[in-house]
Amino acid sequence: MLAASSFGHYGAWLPPLISVHGAEVDRLIDILHWFMLLLFVGWGIFFVYCLVRFRRRAGQKASYVLPKGKISKYAEVGVALFEVVLLVGFSMPAWAEYRTHPPAKDHRVEIRVIAQQFQWNVHYPGPDGKFGRTAAEFISDANPIGLDDSDPAAADDVQLVNEMHLPTGKDIYVRLTSMDVVHSFSIPTMRVKQDAIPGMEIPVWFKVLEGATTENLDEQMTRTYPIGRVAWDRFRHHVAAKDYADRSGQVILARGGDLGATFRDGKKLLERLRQAGVTELTLRPRNALELVCAQLCGNSHYKMHAQIITHTPQDYEKWLKEQSKPVEFNEDF
Amino acid sequence: MSHDHGHDLPFWRKYIFSVDHKVIGIQYAVTALLFLFLGFSLISIMRYQLAYPGRDIPVIGKLLGEPIVGKTPTGYVLTGDGYNAFGAMHGTIMIFLGVVPLAVGGFGNFVLPLQIGAPDMAFPRLNMASYWAYFSGGVVMLTSFFVPGGAANSGWTSYPPLSDIATTGQTMWLFGMVLLITSSLLGSVNFIVTTVQMRAKGLSFFRLPFFVWAQLVTSFLLLLAFPPLEAAGVLQLMDRLAGTSFFLPSGLVVSGQVQNQLSGGGSPLLWQHLFWFLAHPEVYVLILPALGIVAEVIANNTRKPLWGYKSLVYSTIFLGFMSFLVWAHHMFMTGMGQTLSTFFQATTMIISVPSVIILTCLVISLWGASIRFTVPMLFALAFLPMFAIGGLTGLPLGLTTSDIQLHDTYYVIGHFHYVVAPGTLFALFAGVYYWFPKATGRKMNDFLGKLHFWPSFIFINGVFMPMFFIGMAGVLRRQFDQTEQLHGAAVQGLTVMVSWSAWMLIISQFPFIINFFWSIFRGEKVEANPWQATTLEWSAPSPPPHGNFATPPVVACGPYEYSIPGKEKDFCPQNVALEA
Repeated sequence: MLAASSFGHYGAWLPPLISVHGAEVDRLIDILHWFMLLLFVGWGIFFVYCLVRFRRRAGQKASYVLPKGKISKYAEVGVALFEVVLLVGFSMPAWAEYRTHPPAKDHRVEIRVIAQQFQWNVHYPGPDGKFGRTAAEFISDANPIGLDDSDPAAADDVQLVNEMHLPTGKDIYVRLTSMDVVHSFSIPTMRVKQDAIPGMEIPVWFKVLEGATTENLDEQMTRTYPIGRVAWDRFRHHVAAKDYADRSGQVILARGGDLGATFRDGKKLLERLRQAGVTELTLRPRNALELVCAQLCGNSHYKMHAQIITHTPQDYEKWLKEQSKPVEFNEDF
Repeated sequence: MSHDHGHDLPFWRKYIFSVDHKVIGIQYAVTALLFLFLGFSLISIMRYQLAYPGRDIPVIGKLLGEPIVGKTPTGYVLTGDGYNAFGAMHGTIMIFLGVVPLAVGGFGNFVLPLQIGAPDMAFPRLNMASYWAYFSGGVVMLTSFFVPGGAANSGWTSYPPLSDIATTGQTMWLFGMVLLITSSLLGSVNFIVTTVQMRAKGLSFFRLPFFVWAQLVTSFLLLLAFPPLEAAGVLQLMDRLAGTSFFLPSGLVVSGQVQNQLSGGGSPLLWQHLFWFLAHPEVYVLILPALGIVAEVIANNTRKPLWGYKSLVYSTIFLGFMSFLVWAHHMFMTGMGQTLSTFFQATTMIISVPSVIILTCLVISLWGASIRFTVPMLFALAFLPMFAIGGLTGLPLGLTTSDIQLHDTYYVIGHFHYVVAPGTLFALFAGVYYWFPKATGRKMNDFLGKLHFWPSFIFINGVFMPMFFIGMAGVLRRQFDQTEQLHGAAVQGLTVMVSWSAWMLIISQFPFIINFFWSIFRGEKVEANPWQATTLEWSAPSPPPHGNFATPPVVACGPYEYSIPGKEKDFCPQNVALEA
C-alpha cells in the first residue's frame, strides 16, 4: 500500500513516470528483464537437471566423450543477435532523441542549474528570456550563483535554491554545471540523469507529461489508510490532508503536519491518534517529485535534493512573472 | 635462478622474507583473507546506519572515535564523513587488498609454478618484493584511518575535484595505491615470464590447465592497465601536494570561496578516463582467476574433461583484449554523445559474448558427469548461477538508455557484487578448500565446510538480490540515509533485510575461520593427491618441498584426462602417459 497514481507508484520497481522520453527507458528496462529472466530460467533448468541427473551414485560413470550438438552455439548466436537488436533498435534511437537532437531554441524553456555542495541553484532568465551575467566575485549567501545586478538582462532573473519549477508539456532545456565538485542531476520520476561537472556546461533536455502537475499528483496520491496499515515509511514523507483532533477538539495532527521524522515519534503519534478514536488517516506524500544528486559529493551528499513543482504552462508563466523582479528603468539605460 | 636449500635457512628467511613461491603465496593469501574480513567489517558497520539511520551504534560505536563517529546524548552515530571513509575504504580494501591479492598473489603464486611443473617463479626476489610492496601498501592504507580527517572519503573511484580537496587520508590513499600498483606490476611480469619460460617438458600451451591460462591473461591485464592509473595517481598527488591543476578546472568556488590560488585549466574527466581504463580491466582481473579455479574444481569433481577447453582459452584471450575497449561505459552519464556512446555500447555487448561462451562451457561440462558434491565443488557450482546473475544484470547498465535510470543506483552495486562477491569470492573459497591439502598436507573439515557454504549461499543472496529492487526504485549508491527521499523510504524495508542478511553472512564466516586454523594443525592428514586430480601440482608431495618436484616432471597429455574408457582408475595425471 504505497502512494499510487495513474503515473505509477513508489515501491520496489520503477518509481512513477512523468516524462515523455521516460517511456522508452522503461520499455527497454522491461524488455531486458524479461529477456534476462528467460535466459536465466532456461539455463537454470538445464543446470539443475544436470546436478540431479549426473550426481555421483552407483552406476553413474562419467563419460570421457564430450557431448556434441549445436544447441549451445545457436543459443550463443541468438543471445548476440538479440543484443544487437536491443542496441540498434532500442537504445541508440532513444539515446539520439535524448542526447543528440536538442529541442529547437524558440520552442524550449531554458533553465540554468548550478550545483554546489550541497544544494541545487536554479537560475531562470525571467520573462525577457535572457540570462543575466554571473561571476564568482558576486557570490554571496543571498546570491549563490553570483548574478551581476548591473547587467540589465539580470534584472528580471530568478534564482532559487533547492526548488525547481517546471511547466508540463513543454520542452525543458537545462544548462547544467557545477561550481565545486562533480555532482549528478538526477530526477528518478523523469528518468533523467546527467553529471554536473565543474568547468563544463552540459545541456540535458526532457519534457514533463501533460497533466503531471504537482497539484494533480498530490491529489492522485492522497489516500486514506486504516490507521493500523500506516507503515513507518510514511512517517517522514507523508503529511495529513486534514486536521485530526481528540474528543475535546484539541488538534493532535494538523493538516500539512507529518507523522514525525523517526520511527519512535511516528509510533507515539499514531498511538495518540488511536486513543483519540481516529480509525483512518488521509495522507499525501510530501515532495512527490524530487531532484537528487547521484554522484558522491561530500559528507552531506545524501541531503542534496531539491523539490520539483510542476505547473500547467499558463500557471508556470504566471509563477515566473510573480517571481521576477519588476524591471526598473533608469535614465542611463 | 639458483635456489638456496629451504631447510638451511633461518626462520625469518624461510617464513618472513621468503623467496619461495609457496610461502609467498600463503603470505599473500592469509594477508588478503584478513583484509577481506576487515573490508566486510567496515560495511557491516555502515549497514547499521543504512538500516537504522541516526540510531546509536551498539557496543562498538564508542571504540570507533572521531571523526568516524559523532557523539549524541545517548551514544555514538556514524558521521557523514565516517560513512564515506568506510565506503571508500571498503571498496579499496576489498578490491586492491583482498580479492586481487588472494586470487592472483595467493592462488597464482602458490598454484601456477606447481601446475606448470616449475621449481619456483622465474624471479623469486622480485616475487618477494611484490609481496612486501603489497604489504606496505596495506599498512599505508590502514594507517590512513588515524590521520587527521580520517581515511580517504571520496569513494574508491576518487573522482576529483572532490578527492583533490579532500583531507590527508586521500594523500595516504594515493601513496598506498602507488605501492599496490607496483606490487601488481612486479607480480604480473613474473607470472608472464614464468609461464612462458618455465613450463615442464611436454607442457605445450594447449596442455596448460585453464587456471594457468586465466592467470596468464590476468597478468597481461595488470601489466597494461595499471600504469595509466599509476600515472593518474601521481598527477592527483601533484594536484594535492604541489599545487598543480591536472584535474581542476578554472573558476572553482568551494564553500563560497573563489579558488584563485589554483592555476586551473585541468579536467575532472581526464581522471575518470584514466581511472576506468584501469578499473574495467580490473573487473576481469577479479573474474578470470575465479573462472580458472572453478574450471579446475569442476573438471576434478565431474570426473570428465572440460567441455570446450579451446573455446575457454580463446574466449579468455578475447575477453582480456576487449576489456581494454569498454571503460567509458562507466561514464555514460558524463554527457556522452551518440558516436562515443555507440562505440562503447557495442564493445560492451561484444564483451558479453565470450563471457556467455565461458559460462556455457562450464555448465555443459556437467553433462554426462559423475558429480562429487565435495565442499570445493559446492562453492564452484554456486558460483555459476550467481556469476550468471552478475553478468546478466550488466546488460541494462551497458545500454545507455536503460542506464539513465539505473546508473549510480543500488542496481549497479547489486550487479558488480554478484560478479565479485557471490561470484569471485565463492570461487576463491572453492580454491581454498581445494588446494588446502596441497599447502598443508591436511584436509579442511567437511562438516564445517558445509556449515560455511549453505548459510553463506542463502545470506549472500539475501544481501545482493534486494539491491536490484532498491536500485530500480531509484535509490542511489553512497547515500548515508536513503529515507531522506520518498522513493528511498518506500523500499527501506528491503534495506533493513539487506543489513540483517549481511550480519548473518559475517556470522556464517566463522565456521570457515575456525575450520581454516583448526585444520592447519588438526585436519585429517591426506596423501599427495587426495582429490584424485590430474594436474601437475598433485604429483608433488604435500606440502611440496623447496624446489617442488624431486625430479622435473615430463608432461604426456592434456590437463583433464578423466574417465578414459577401459582404464582402471578414472583419472590419468598429466605426467603419466595415456597408454601407460
